[in-house]
Amino acid sequence: MSLVAEAFVSQIAVRWAKVNVIISSTDKGMGKSYPQTIAAEPWPENATLYQQLKGEQILLSDNAASLAVQAFLQMCNLPIKVVCRANAEYMSPSGKVPFIHVGNQVVSELGPIVQFVKAKGHSLSDGLDEVQKAEMKAYMELVNNMLLTAELYLQWCDEATVGEITHARYGSPYPWPLNHILAYQKQWEVRRKMKAIGWGKKTLDQVLEDVDQCCQALSQRLGTQPYFFNKQPTELDALVFGHLYTILTTQLTSDELSEKVKNYSNLLAFCRRIEQHYFEDRGKGSSSIRLS
Amino acid sequence: MAAPLELSCWGGGWGLPSVHSESLVVMAYAKFSGAPLKVNVIDNTWRGSRGDVPILTTKDNIVSQPAKILNFLRKQKYNADYELSARQGADTLAYIALLEEKLLPAVLHTFWVENDNYFTVTKPWFASRIPFPLSLILPGRMSKGALNRILLTRGEPPLYHLREVEAQIYRDAKECLNLLSHRLGTSQFFFGDMPSTLDAYVFGFLAPLYKVRFPKVQLQEHLKQLSNLCRFCDDILNSYFRHSLGAFSCVNRNQQQTDFGEASLLLDKKRSMPICRNSPSL
Repeated sequence: MSLVAEAFVSQIAVRWAKVNVIISSTDKGMGKSYPQTIAAEPWPENATLYQQLKGEQILLSDNAASLAVQAFLQMCNLPIKVVCRANAEYMSPSGKVPFIHVGNQVVSELGPIVQFVKAKGHSLSDGLDEVQKAEMKAYMELVNNMLLTAELYLQWCDEATVGEITHARYGSPYPWPLNHILAYQKQWEVRRKMKAIGWGKKTLDQVLEDVDQCCQALSQRLGTQPYFFNKQPTELDALVFGHLYTILTTQLTSDELSEKVKNYSNLLAFCRRIEQHYFEDRGKGSSSIRLS
Repeated sequence: MAAPLELSCWGGGWGLPSVHSESLVVMAYAKFSGAPLKVNVIDNTWRGSRGDVPILTTKDNIVSQPAKILNFLRKQKYNADYELSARQGADTLAYIALLEEKLLPAVLHTFWVENDNYFTVTKPWFASRIPFPLSLILPGRMSKGALNRILLTRGEPPLYHLREVEAQIYRDAKECLNLLSHRLGTSQFFFGDMPSTLDAYVFGFLAPLYKVRFPKVQLQEHLKQLSNLCRFCDDILNSYFRHSLGAFSCVNRNQQQTDFGEASLLLDKKRSMPICRNSPSL
């Protein structure tokens, strides 16, 4: 009954995690330009990415975000070590996972990480012209707006999933009663946000329809190309891969979500291609997925 | 004939058929697709509801929220997008998401949260169109709803202070406007020569920002520098809303209904020459 992603193997025993305070300078990383010192330092070998515990704790949406960042860094050819901590969410400067610790900077979420990496001189989208960059940003917002929100809805607003999977996983590293309190607090927060953006009244079917619409748009945009902007992957490819792969390989109470994605064969091929190129070939991380 | 379609929405001013973004999106789409809409402007009598505006009523259905209304109109064969390719349809969804994530918070802030704007412009305008004593309550509630939405979606740590959130959302909005301007380039509409859903959405979000006279105008100033977006709004206003603007500017507050079907430009469904019923010169 627990949420076991086929491709991920739990390696860390559930226990109370010590609070690791990682601060030298926390970087807000939102639209700020970085000083020359950042650009001057090369990417260190010991860069680490923090996320929640893989096997027992991490949820669908956080897993997708973490995988997107990992894929992006792989595409940029930057080495990163993935470390799992039960309190990763609280260590993060913005409260969201994943976050990376590079040198003495801590940056969280894909958007700021892309900018940080760009300040260091690595970028995947330099070759695009202005119109293509606008399109890329628009599609990234589409994924965040529809796919990510749908994942959050499914995790926190759908009673079946909440009861069977989410509460148990979210509070798993903590003893009673903290596990219940934290889970309910998070659920309340997410539901408040859903209501504010107008998703509070949606039914599960409507949400799944939105997911289908989003996948259809992505599939039509991708067409027969290997990546969204033809030959070279960009951060959009990383983001889409992160979400779709996680949806496909995560076992939920029902298969409806992954079925929506499986309807589009070019998206499946896209995920397989990225997984092969950037994860299997480098001998890191996930074992091969069975997509059929 | 299709059952009569009635749209209840907020009214206009400053040269616009409506100052409410979502209402404007629906009105623009109806014009582009040729849907005959009867527009009931909300006024300060107790007729009609004010929640969830715009609302489309037909004989059997009540539909709210712009996305659902547009879907409904498409099902009734009023489709502004049928000349678009599949990829352009996908681009439409993506750009609408961009508008909602990056531009909408700043628009909400300009109208409802920025104190100078809210107390001098927005609140009096809406209060005059809501019956007493609701007029004392509803604008405040709408303002709190807007602030709530901004804080919940964008006000996460490390942006703890409202001023930092404001700075961030205006930065994002300016970037979004720049992106839209790049994408529009020199063409008349976003996908060629005929307007589509995306044009309706962009028009709905930009026109109020462009036309309404506010005391605090940083986003408006930025928009006015992007001349192709201003030209885009003006073109649509002139081509599709010209006759109805005449109706709006002299509308008495007691006049309840404006029938778009007769007093304005009607587009033939095959989108050939626009047919204007009341103009003798065409």
